[in-house]
Amino acid sequence: MKNPTLKNGLTAGVIFGILTTVMFLIGFNEVAAKLISKVFSDQNFTKFPQYYYFGIFMVLLGIWNGNIAAKAEFKRKNDLLSSLIASIIGGLIAGLFGLILSLIFGSLVEQQIDVRKYLVSVSPESIKLFLFEKSALTGGLIELGLSIISALAGGLLFYLFNAVNGVNKAKQSLFKNYQSLISSPKTKELLSDPIFKIAMYLLIAVALIVIPRNWGSYWNYVFGTVGIYVLLGIGLNMITGWAGQLVIGYSFFFAIGAYTFAIFTSPEPHNLMWNFWIALGLGVLAAGLSGLLLGLPILNLRGDYLAIVTLGLGEIIRILLKSDLLTDFTGGPRGLQKIAGPTLFGKPFNSDVDFMYLIIVAVLVVSFLAHRLQNSRTGKAWYAINLDETVAKATGVNSFWSKLLALTLSAAIAGLAGAIFASRNQYTGPDDHTLMVSINVICLIIVGGIGNIPGIFLGAFVLKGVPEILREIDNYRMLVFGVLLIVMMRIRPEGFLPLQRPKLEKFVKPVNPEGGAQ
Amino acid sequence: MTNTNSQNISKIKISQFIRPVISTLIILYLFYRIYTVVFIESSFTPDIWVRFAISGLIIGGMYALIAIGYTLVYGIMFMINFAHGEVMMLGAFGGFFIFELFKGIPTPTAADPNLTLNNSHPYLTIILAFAMGILVSGLAGYFLEKIAYRPLRKAPRLILLITAIGASIFLQNLAMLMFGPQRKNVVNPEILNRSNGWEFLVSGKSVFLTYTGVFSLILSAVLMILLYLLVQHTKLGRSMRAVAQDQNTAALMGVDVDDVISKTFVISGILAGAAGVMWDIHMGLVNHYTGFLPGIKAFTAAVMGGIGNIPGAMFGGIFLGLIESLGPASLGIDFQLKDVIAFSILVLVLIIRPSGIFGEKLSEEKL
Repeated sequence: MKNPTLKNGLTAGVIFGILTTVMFLIGFNEVAAKLISKVFSDQNFTKFPQYYYFGIFMVLLGIWNGNIAAKAEFKRKNDLLSSLIASIIGGLIAGLFGLILSLIFGSLVEQQIDVRKYLVSVSPESIKLFLFEKSALTGGLIELGLSIISALAGGLLFYLFNAVNGVNKAKQSLFKNYQSLISSPKTKELLSDPIFKIAMYLLIAVALIVIPRNWGSYWNYVFGTVGIYVLLGIGLNMITGWAGQLVIGYSFFFAIGAYTFAIFTSPEPHNLMWNFWIALGLGVLAAGLSGLLLGLPILNLRGDYLAIVTLGLGEIIRILLKSDLLTDFTGGPRGLQKIAGPTLFGKPFNSDVDFMYLIIVAVLVVSFLAHRLQNSRTGKAWYAINLDETVAKATGVNSFWSKLLALTLSAAIAGLAGAIFASRNQYTGPDDHTLMVSINVICLIIVGGIGNIPGIFLGAFVLKGVPEILREIDNYRMLVFGVLLIVMMRIRPEGFLPLQRPKLEKFVKPVNPEGGAQ
Repeated sequence: MTNTNSQNISKIKISQFIRPVISTLIILYLFYRIYTVVFIESSFTPDIWVRFAISGLIIGGMYALIAIGYTLVYGIMFMINFAHGEVMMLGAFGGFFIFELFKGIPTPTAADPNLTLNNSHPYLTIILAFAMGILVSGLAGYFLEKIAYRPLRKAPRLILLITAIGASIFLQNLAMLMFGPQRKNVVNPEILNRSNGWEFLVSGKSVFLTYTGVFSLILSAVLMILLYLLVQHTKLGRSMRAVAQDQNTAALMGVDVDDVISKTFVISGILAGAAGVMWDIHMGLVNHYTGFLPGIKAFTAAVMGGIGNIPGAMFGGIFLGLIESLGPASLGIDFQLKDVIAFSILVLVLIIRPSGIFGEKLSEEKL
């Protein structure tokens, strides 16, 4: 460990070796091969065998490995040779992990031992893919060689992009051009031009009307889900993003909305079958009221205690919904079925297009209201509480009632989302309101950019839309969420599209009491 | 002027009275309910109450071990290590694989040709299972701190909490993808067969006390005493207490804060791993979800005893185990709602007395 070059290479190599091992153990190599074959539009492996694509994946991983090793070494010492040595060491170590894995699991396959009893994802096909359809030793040596060569390539690429002057300058000037294009007065003028704005709004309106009609029920389903999560995100954002109070059991309000709506429209427990719009209003009202009543005792708590209390409430309602105690209202584990759809002027909404319109209208209305709130007196009070509650109180913000208002509003929005969700699925059950819903919504606003409404749209699309489009990675979705949360908190806690707050117009130089400037 | 003053005072009074009044009402109702169910309806005979109490004590011992992990970490870093339940789950898997491995190695003798290693060397099996569980959980705690939490030492606490939630989701799903979602049966060595035990009489009826339960209870008591000695009487324990009181001052006095935090995570991981293997032995079922509910409940226990307070966490764990097994019967509600009771207690304790039953009045910064 005395030799820093060795150490840099070793660190990268061990990280990537563990990454390779974990990916192998969770069966990700088959998925990776499929994804890459999709890129080459060869999903049935007619052009090339499957292991070819797996090889591409391993090479990409190796290039990344070499790149990281070279970067760490380059920071220490601006030298091509030592960077390349570091990346070769990284490749060697990661490759050794691959070799050992190949030897262990290859010999197991050759002896016809099935390890799937304990490691469900390691199927014989997956092992064969890992060995490039060769024997254990040959496959392992291919892994090793591939890893070293690709790490070397990664090191060279890093050097090319960062150290060679011409490429570096081109990269920087490209970035500068982009920056100047964004911030040039002409762009700003164009963006604030009223005619341009109206044209953009018209374009969006036409798109929102035309697109749902033409892209089929599958896409309507996917984007309907995204829309419902946008609603949830905007709601949670009020209390968590703006007022700064982390609420984990947000599915509580979602469930209240969905079940209230369902009880009044479903034929099952009480045969009420009320009008859709009345039931929708009642769902929103019930959720908002529950937020108000719950907020009274809990909103005095700070930070993580509030988070844990709401987590407990979310779990309580999930278990209660499942239990026999409330079967007369909730239908127990079966849930409530045959929930009625909406009607407007006597015409029933029976197609997915109508529902898509309903969701679009709800999203537009709620995001408009939220946008107005954000810049209102209330929104500013929330922001003040978020920054420093004591100071906010001192400047005359009634922090308790402001927080209560935020929780009530966000609960009401969750109730709206729940009612629409139940109505669209014509069903609501305890499994629709698990902790994972709450966690998804938290992830969504954090990834998108906490406090920022466009960020919520982005986050909902990334977390709910992308997994639907890439069906292969569906099993790995929650795993990726977990990693995403950790990584985002570490490198970009403000999210992809962070909230831009107006800066102080005039910077006042602090003066210390003795009179001298600091 | 006086008008505004009096208005302010009346406002403060209203919001101050809401919580005590509501909480007193809830507590009074609960007492009334327990009184009617237990003494007037008297739906259960004493032997059944003893049975509930025993199972509550056993599970409470495990909760206490996990709760200590929460309390140690909270005391030092003021963060809720949400992934602690998952650390316990990993330990449970470590123990499970040792049991499975030893079950699969045949050591035939003349008397019994089907004998396997776990029955021919039962003590070795159990010790190795605990060693493996402790190793896995200790390493998990160490790397969790090093990879996820250490870069965020100076970050706001909500960011740490979200990171911990992320780590919890990650570990849970990693275990699910690797080992599969179905529950796995843990086969104990014959000496700890789950259906063997002592029988004794309570008011004329027999009550069954399993060996696994007694074993878990004794082991958790021993571990708690060891931990108490470690914290009170060793150099590491002294530095842990110093860091818990004031990180900066401790650093000035020559305590390596990073090292102490890292070791705290390892210790809490070790306790969680032991609890995980106990879970294997006593409950006999393990899957990726094993750690989640015990984790949250142990956190409840830690809060109940006053978070940051080690004896409080021990008491809180055992108390929660007892409430959970006695509660449904004494409130006269369905047994499937025992988790609701645990969570309701969490909510009530946090609302009524966030500093816990034993907790000293904490400053606003800590709360």
